[in-house]
Amino acid sequence: MTIRTVGHTFLALIILLLHASAVCAAEAVRVGVFSYQGAERAESDWASTFKHLRKTLPQYSFYAMPGDLKTLTDDVAANRLDFIITNPGHYVELEAEYGAARIATVEIQGGPVPSEAVGAVIFTRAARTDIASLHDLRGKRLAAVAAETFGFRQAWREMLKEGVDPFSNLAELSFTGFPVKRVVDAVRDGTSDAGVVRTCVLEEMVAKGLARADEFHVVAAHTIPGLGCQTSTRLYPDWPFVKLSHTSATLAKQVARALLSMPVEANRQDWTVPVDYHSVLDLYYDLQIGPYEILRQHSLANILWSYRYWLTLLALSLIWWIIHVLRVEHLIRKRTRELHEANQKARLRREELEHASRLSLVGEMAGSLAHEISQPLAAIANYARGCERRMQQGGDQAEILHGVRQIAAQAERGGEVVRNMRSFVRKRQPFLCRLDPDLLISDTLALFAPLAERRNVLIELEPHDSLPAVAADKLQLEEVLLNLLQNAADAIEGKPEGKISIRASSAGGVVEIGIADTGPGLDDEAMRRLFETFFTTKPQGLGLGLSLSRSIIESHGGRLWAENIPGGGALFRFTLPVAKG
Amino acid sequence: MTGEIATVYVVDDDSAMRDSIEFLVSSVGYQCQSYASAEAFLEVFKAGEAACLVLDVRMPKMGGLELQRVLAGQGATLGLVFVTGHGDIPMAVTAMRGGAVDFLEKPFNDQRLLDCINEALRYSMRMTNAAKCRAAVVTRLAQLTARERDVLDLVMAGKPNKVIALTLDLSVKTVEVHRSKVMEKMAVMSVAELACCVNLAK
Repeated sequence: MTIRTVGHTFLALIILLLHASAVCAAEAVRVGVFSYQGAERAESDWASTFKHLRKTLPQYSFYAMPGDLKTLTDDVAANRLDFIITNPGHYVELEAEYGAARIATVEIQGGPVPSEAVGAVIFTRAARTDIASLHDLRGKRLAAVAAETFGFRQAWREMLKEGVDPFSNLAELSFTGFPVKRVVDAVRDGTSDAGVVRTCVLEEMVAKGLARADEFHVVAAHTIPGLGCQTSTRLYPDWPFVKLSHTSATLAKQVARALLSMPVEANRQDWTVPVDYHSVLDLYYDLQIGPYEILRQHSLANILWSYRYWLTLLALSLIWWIIHVLRVEHLIRKRTRELHEANQKARLRREELEHASRLSLVGEMAGSLAHEISQPLAAIANYARGCERRMQQGGDQAEILHGVRQIAAQAERGGEVVRNMRSFVRKRQPFLCRLDPDLLISDTLALFAPLAERRNVLIELEPHDSLPAVAADKLQLEEVLLNLLQNAADAIEGKPEGKISIRASSAGGVVEIGIADTGPGLDDEAMRRLFETFFTTKPQGLGLGLSLSRSIIESHGGRLWAENIPGGGALFRFTLPVAKG
Repeated sequence: MTGEIATVYVVDDDSAMRDSIEFLVSSVGYQCQSYASAEAFLEVFKAGEAACLVLDVRMPKMGGLELQRVLAGQGATLGLVFVTGHGDIPMAVTAMRGGAVDFLEKPFNDQRLLDCINEALRYSMRMTNAAKCRAAVVTRLAQLTARERDVLDLVMAGKPNKVIALTLDLSVKTVEVHRSKVMEKMAVMSVAELACCVNLAK
């Protein structure tokens, strides 16, 4: 036995086995068929095709597997189908998702070209004249079979083009489900204003006597030559015969060859080379569904991305603007604070100076007063003691008399010192001018404002009629007013509700100005001695303010007096004669 | 008290003050003279007099403290009592350092002033006597010869006659003669008295 002989025998065996399998067990080929009008209808629609395939390729057993879109898609996903005949919409989805490929497109002899054969109609009852265009569908009720049907999607695309989004611009969008007749019924009985069905459905129903030719009106209708039906949409390619990804190339080739060679039968249906399905993809793109669903999800991101440079610029400008605003704000606050602090410091400094000058004045006055007074006092003591000694010794009467006279003289001198003191502090002669009392008040309030602010004193100027001018020394009167304001502020010190009111009036040839406070008022002793020189109720007071104020007012020919306000507080009032001429 | 009438000078620019102090002081028997300014007082004042000066610190032109300095420069032996209307501590310290007896503030107690005047007079007399004594010693020292002066110095240094003789290259006898001359001229009886006198003059 040679090796050659063995080889021959082996080869023969393999050929025999292969032949046996091909003949004996015909391989099952499952062809899914989209059945939008029921399983039997699907069978009958494609009966000639199956008959032809079975005849041409007897080594395969072709099984028609009718199903709706979801069932078919599931079958494809599970590799339960080898081929599928479905509508163009479903096909492009399968192509995108599962790598399905068309191998032939159905063709109706004497019908439209296969690349423009499928459309949809939007129809109303013929009586409805209010829906002339797709635009008129806005706010109306629309019925369709299902959202996933190709027919509805075609209608959707056309409506969207006219600015009507079926999902948001309609009064109602209802899906009846299969069969298509339900849509027609919904429109017919008025449940919906309009309906969406595949092209030729209405014409077929009329042909079968299920509808009257004048019963319905197609919106935006145009007739396609060769189709013989009205359509509301542009047209799309006809149904394809689709090979699935796992189907072997050999089988696909055999099936394709068989389809293309299929003779035209009574239903005028045959198969031609697959046409371009880009127009279907365009529809999916426009509606952002199926393979383009991702566009819908990312459309905002896409927009942002496409405008990224402008958006960046905008963001930068915005940031710059915010920073600028914040910076300006910050600077304003800082400068305001600095200014405020500077003011505060200046005010404190001014007050310190005021205080210091006041203190030094007190010291100086006390010193000079002590010196001036101690001189006559010492002399008086000396004279008195001298007299005493002389009298004890029985001394000379004339000498004692001299001593006693000197005592009297020195006592007078002491009195003179005190008088001089008083005249010293008021020695300036008033310089009388015509003065507007309102100006006096406002200028004094301006002078007093820093102190009032620091001590948080509320000053109210009561409204009054216009006042005649007075003859007055403005500086001296400001001194008086400041003094009265200061006293009032001291009186309400520590009272949160404390308030000073200024009132002014004129009557009988005098102008009267009053300063009222809400302090504790004046007790009997204070009331009696208020205007005495060196009488004071304040720990740091000199007791000069009111006595000086009174002498100033009196030197102007006016009066200054105080009274208690019933219910609390003191009122200081002074009058000034109205200027003559 | 010495028996003779002591003078109390009053210098104050205030006439009432002057007059009243004079009135008071004369009531106890002192002789009193008052002046309106330091300058007026200096014109008439002679150093070496035992007297009391009551003076005001603050006056126009020359003040009390300045007058005190001027008087010290003249070798005055006055007892000073300051009176002031408004004195302060530095003023008082300066016055007391300059030898003032007291520093009174107006108005003052009359007895206090009189006591001060008394003390000032006593002080002045002591000072005046010491000054007189010193002047006498200086006069006597001036009468000594050069050789007597040398002997005096060595005696004051506590040297015995022998050492003095050796130092001055003199005989002990000669030294004894010089020494007795010195005692005579200086009008002292003992070395101790001599030493006291010489120290006074230093």
